[in-house]
Amino acid sequence: MACGYLVLEDGTAYEGELFGSETDAVGEVVFSTGMDGYQESLTDPSFRGQILVSTYPLVGDYGIADGFDQSDAVHVRGLVVREYCRHPSMMYGGKTLDSYMKKHGVPGISGIDTRDLVIKIRTEGTVKGAIVGAGADIEETVKALRKMPLPSECNLVAEVSCKGVSRRDNGNGTPVGVLDCGTKRGIVRDLDSRFDTVIFPYDTPADVIADSKVKGLLVTNGPGDPSHPAIVATAQKTVSDLSSVMPIYGICYGSQIIARALGGSTYKMKFGHRGCNQPVKFDGRVYITSQNHGYAVDESSLEGTGLVANQINVNDGTVEGVRHKDLPIFTSQYHPEATPGPTDTAFLFDVFAKMVKEGRL
Amino acid sequence: MRKDYKKLLVIGSGPIIIGQAAEFDFSGTQACRSLREEGYSTVLVNSNPATIQTDTDTADSVYIEPLLAENVARIIEKEGVDGVISGMGGQTALNICSELADSGELERLGAVLVGTQPDAIAMSEDRELFKETMERIGEPIPLSRSVNSIQEAKEAVKAIGKYPVLIRPAYTLGGTGGGIAHDEAELEEICARGLAYSRIHQVLIEESVLGWKEYEYEVMRDSDDNCIIICNMENLDAMGIHTGESIVCAPCLTLSDKDHQRLRSAAIKVIRALNIDGGCNVQFAYNPANGDYRLIEVNPRVSRSSALASKATGYPIARVATKIAVGYTLDEIPNRITGTTYAAFEPSVDYVVIKIPRWPFDKFRTVDRHLGTQMKSTGEVMSIGRTFEEALLKGLRSLEIGVKGLDRFEADDDALREELVNATDKRIFAMGEALRKGWTVEKVADLAKWDAFFVQKLKNIVDMEERIKTGLTPAVLKKAKEMGFSDDTIGELCGAPSLEVRARRKAQGLIPVYKMVDTCAAEFAAQTPYFYSTYGRSSEVVPVTDKKKVVIIGGGPIRIGQGIEFDYCCVHGVMALQEEGVDAVIINNNPETVSTDYDISDRLYFEPLTLEDVLNAVESEGADGVIVQYGGQTSVNLAVDLEKALAGTGTRILGTSPDDMDVAEDRRRFSKLMDELGIKQPRSGTGYSFEEAKAIAEGIGYPVLVRPSYVLGGRAMEIVYSTSELKTYVDTAVKVSRNHPILVDKYLTEAVEIDVDAVCDGTDVYVGGIMEHVEYAGCHSGDATMVLPPFTLSKAVTDEIVDITRRVALALRIRGLMNLQLAVKNGQVYMIEANPRASRTVPFISKATGVPLAKVATKIMLGKTLKDFGLSGYRAIDHYAIKASVFPFLKLPGVDSILTPEMKSTGEVMGIDEDFSKACYKALVAAGNKLPSEGGVYVTVNDQDKEKILEPVKCLKDMGFTIYATKGTSTYLRECGIDTVTVFKLDEGQKPNAVGLMRDGKINLVINTPSQKSGAIRDGYTMRRLAVELEIPFMTTVQGADVAVRAIKVAKSGALGVRSVKEFHGLV
Repeated sequence: MACGYLVLEDGTAYEGELFGSETDAVGEVVFSTGMDGYQESLTDPSFRGQILVSTYPLVGDYGIADGFDQSDAVHVRGLVVREYCRHPSMMYGGKTLDSYMKKHGVPGISGIDTRDLVIKIRTEGTVKGAIVGAGADIEETVKALRKMPLPSECNLVAEVSCKGVSRRDNGNGTPVGVLDCGTKRGIVRDLDSRFDTVIFPYDTPADVIADSKVKGLLVTNGPGDPSHPAIVATAQKTVSDLSSVMPIYGICYGSQIIARALGGSTYKMKFGHRGCNQPVKFDGRVYITSQNHGYAVDESSLEGTGLVANQINVNDGTVEGVRHKDLPIFTSQYHPEATPGPTDTAFLFDVFAKMVKEGRL
Repeated sequence: MRKDYKKLLVIGSGPIIIGQAAEFDFSGTQACRSLREEGYSTVLVNSNPATIQTDTDTADSVYIEPLLAENVARIIEKEGVDGVISGMGGQTALNICSELADSGELERLGAVLVGTQPDAIAMSEDRELFKETMERIGEPIPLSRSVNSIQEAKEAVKAIGKYPVLIRPAYTLGGTGGGIAHDEAELEEICARGLAYSRIHQVLIEESVLGWKEYEYEVMRDSDDNCIIICNMENLDAMGIHTGESIVCAPCLTLSDKDHQRLRSAAIKVIRALNIDGGCNVQFAYNPANGDYRLIEVNPRVSRSSALASKATGYPIARVATKIAVGYTLDEIPNRITGTTYAAFEPSVDYVVIKIPRWPFDKFRTVDRHLGTQMKSTGEVMSIGRTFEEALLKGLRSLEIGVKGLDRFEADDDALREELVNATDKRIFAMGEALRKGWTVEKVADLAKWDAFFVQKLKNIVDMEERIKTGLTPAVLKKAKEMGFSDDTIGELCGAPSLEVRARRKAQGLIPVYKMVDTCAAEFAAQTPYFYSTYGRSSEVVPVTDKKKVVIIGGGPIRIGQGIEFDYCCVHGVMALQEEGVDAVIINNNPETVSTDYDISDRLYFEPLTLEDVLNAVESEGADGVIVQYGGQTSVNLAVDLEKALAGTGTRILGTSPDDMDVAEDRRRFSKLMDELGIKQPRSGTGYSFEEAKAIAEGIGYPVLVRPSYVLGGRAMEIVYSTSELKTYVDTAVKVSRNHPILVDKYLTEAVEIDVDAVCDGTDVYVGGIMEHVEYAGCHSGDATMVLPPFTLSKAVTDEIVDITRRVALALRIRGLMNLQLAVKNGQVYMIEANPRASRTVPFISKATGVPLAKVATKIMLGKTLKDFGLSGYRAIDHYAIKASVFPFLKLPGVDSILTPEMKSTGEVMGIDEDFSKACYKALVAAGNKLPSEGGVYVTVNDQDKEKILEPVKCLKDMGFTIYATKGTSTYLRECGIDTVTVFKLDEGQKPNAVGLMRDGKINLVINTPSQKSGAIRDGYTMRRLAVELEIPFMTTVQGADVAVRAIKVAKSGALGVRSVKEFHGLV
């Protein structure tokens, strides 16, 4: 078992044991409070550029199985755990997390006091960090980290969005478009069961989508900063152009794009919401939701945009969804497709379907 | 939104029994606090005096009355209650609520059920209704059929298709009377039992899902239909072993997110369909082969599982469920753990929780130890770690069954295999041993029907043992500690004393850190003071420097001999410390109790109660003092070692010094002291071998009382009548050795036994109460029916008892509590034993007299004097309080119901009234005795009791009972002019005999005093066992019979009322 370190830009080094791929990793260190669903998280494109810390100390207990992947790749740059499981339950076939991460070229570090680390992130905010081998020079690593730009300064969406348009004729009659900023398979699955789906790259111009005869558009989740210039010029503009053309629903990053496209603004949160237990108040009810976001819509920026924040996080009052006063547009900052997490808000896909059918919300 | 009620009633769960333990004290107490917080006027009723909830400050009015629907109705009427909380007192409260609602009584009294409604209760409790509801919402349940007779049961099996089938009685608790039938003969036997136990004479015959995995979900729902899952739990033992008997971990570890969400969604669907407002527990069987699941059970109330889930996550389920019951929605209820968020979220934990049951097999050596669908455990421990191994090893050493962790289990291959397949309480140790022998993880998992994932964890522990044996390098020591190994185990494996291991690891900088249980995996800064130890980078305990800190060592798991009474004392200790401005710190590992509620103490350490773990916590706190008097024998046993280890630090043992405690515990030192004080004792001696014990016994004359030294609850205590019985005892019950001597005492026949609880400050002594046992000496004080104040003693004897108490307390230099056990024979008072600690009867006396002994004692330990409280001497009370015990015989086939020096009861009730007979009635009825008002009484007594039984039998005859008696007793009674029906003894092989008459329902009360020879005791066994199973009250002592007859008489007169505790204390 090779020793290694998780090094943070503030100079802290946590000693642990390396697993997965024998490579180094750098990224923005974030934590998720989900107690299972690690495979779904690893493959969630929204984690692009990030080193994921699991607050749950045991990871990999039920192994790895086909069907849990949310994309073709592992998108996290590294995984930090208290303990990874070498001998998982055989209930799902018994493939190990270690071999899976090796296959995908992603390193992990185990034996870390993750609670200590999470309290640090909670207190100081998201930090840059690196997973390095035992031989690495810690001071040099810290220096390099300080100099390194945040991953979100790159156009991460470009790395995870599809490269060309694809059509999925599911025999459902109604075609809807997906503006793919890095979609999870769960979203496509929930659309496929209701619609014929056309998936567009994130930078597809509005006229291409309008011409494709889709009756509505879903703007997906994705990694990084929604205010990135490359996004403002593409996805944001597309949504802005289509906002009075067709019904639009946005999930997570898509929610932020829609808010921005209609004149709102977004900001970076101290350490974000990542987990499966976030309570959202919506129409007088509380729903437990699955979340993975580091940016949020600024409620005060919505004035005059036609958008209202109609969904609010019960814990911290942040915006969890907006809807337009007149246009058929609504969003959820959380993930109704779950995978991982509770399916309490799966009905939002039906709301979208109804909106597409009736042309109004 | 909050609804208006004039007055709310919370119904408790009554005495501690198997399947219904301290968890309901915890939930009921939390419910009352939650209601009072909202400004409601509250009333509480419970028959159990040992609980915190029956403290007068838990509710505005507290009633210690039998939990019967008619009593509850009286209280509702008297108090003007308009809302009754149904879901906090377990099955007992739920049944009373159903009964009051069904009969229309509730409506007549103008009260409503608050929280879960009668239709919801019926839908989850009535098997057919439940089945219909689940079918309607499309949730799968095992194929099943409700039946009301054995014939119908056989037809049901035909419809299901194959054996084995499960049999579950409707409306019982802890699976009482259920079982698994593999063939028709077993079906008949179990059904007969199950039908008898069911309140509605109904059992369910059900498809077997044996060997499937078992998962549980704790769900909450509010009136806006918001639903959340508090916690899920995974049973390590497969279906077929009751969840109360299973080792359980939280959260589930082997479920994928996808399958977790399937079960989560199903659980929410279920709580919605059943229309439950509040908390509910949903149990699933899960087929690991194909992912199929079945809903097994739903409890529409807080439960043992919800108490565990509360402690496992920090989420106060009972408190929130209560708020929901009175109209709040989840997003309106603040999360007090974080102080900044709301109750509307799902806890995320960042540790592993393990629960292990604590079984009473150390006390019941004859009982079948196999685990099945019927609960046998009396309590449980919970442990928290950052890895599974750490949590498991902490849990195992919390059990106080003499193991340090995954200890050795000596057995050959066949025995191991048998143990793995047919589990007893020892299975986990057998699994460890099988792995040590080189059995593969797969083989062990397959035999035990465990997920290999968990067996692998045991393998990791076994592998670490080997590494330790090979050489305890600093790196190995670090790994071993991170894995949860105790210093004791490490020391044993590498041949070093554990204190040396401790010194070594401390030199290496290996000291535990304490992490917080905060409901949110550190996502939010929390304010909760709830901690567990692990080995890691940083500790979250912030040292408090400006206040004095005192640690109270808790009592660990509930077991026979050490019950909820000690938790009561710990909680009172905490309250008293806080009243004095001292930070109160609790160390305990029992998830069911009030002491481990997160907002009771200033800091809570959820830890094993070994010397190592306690010292670690004490050092983490930098405590000023440690109180060892309240945690029963658990804490007393630590006293001497703890004092040694703390020598030279700033931490002192408060109260009576460990050395003085040792004087009381050590028979030789104590006898010497009694001689010096001129206090009589039964002749006695200490034998370090069989020969020595024999010589002592023959010297003082049989019968003698024998027992091992240093035990609580009279474990392995027996009266022996001859040398051959002594030999049997030494051969089977105890190991006698230099380190484990046995005590031999002269047994005083027909002596009156007395318990005294007192508080001493070093100068003055306050006698809190003198309790006279109804049964003669020889029946364990924990089992005996006790009367406060004494009802047969002369003033002179009482005065002498007070004097003896004073002199002994001062001689032992008691600072705090002391309990004495005395015997009175022919006007002479004999000392049996002194216990320099809180006793089982402290809460009973406190409730009966209104003087909170444990609080007073705590303040004395801090330096106050009895004068400060205006307490001295002995004060009589003007009413009677009677303690009666409840026994687990029904749940434990193979146990004789006769009362002996070994304690057998699980819990107690109090009957309180100005009138002695009425108090007797209340106590007996509260203890679950179904006292008849008419019918037949079977009397068979030994020769020396014949004369004494005359009066009670005459009284029964006068009340119209038919008297059945065996020849000898019958002849005697007829000679005395009492008409009887003579029946044959069983071994005479003719009818009518008692067993036949009992089965026919002709006998409604049994008075059977066996002759004082163990052979004769066995003869009546069949009959007593049958009485237990048919729930016919039986009295095995003349004194007990006398009390029962008084009770029956007063019940027939009909003049019973209810009175609150405050009224008894003259405070209203």
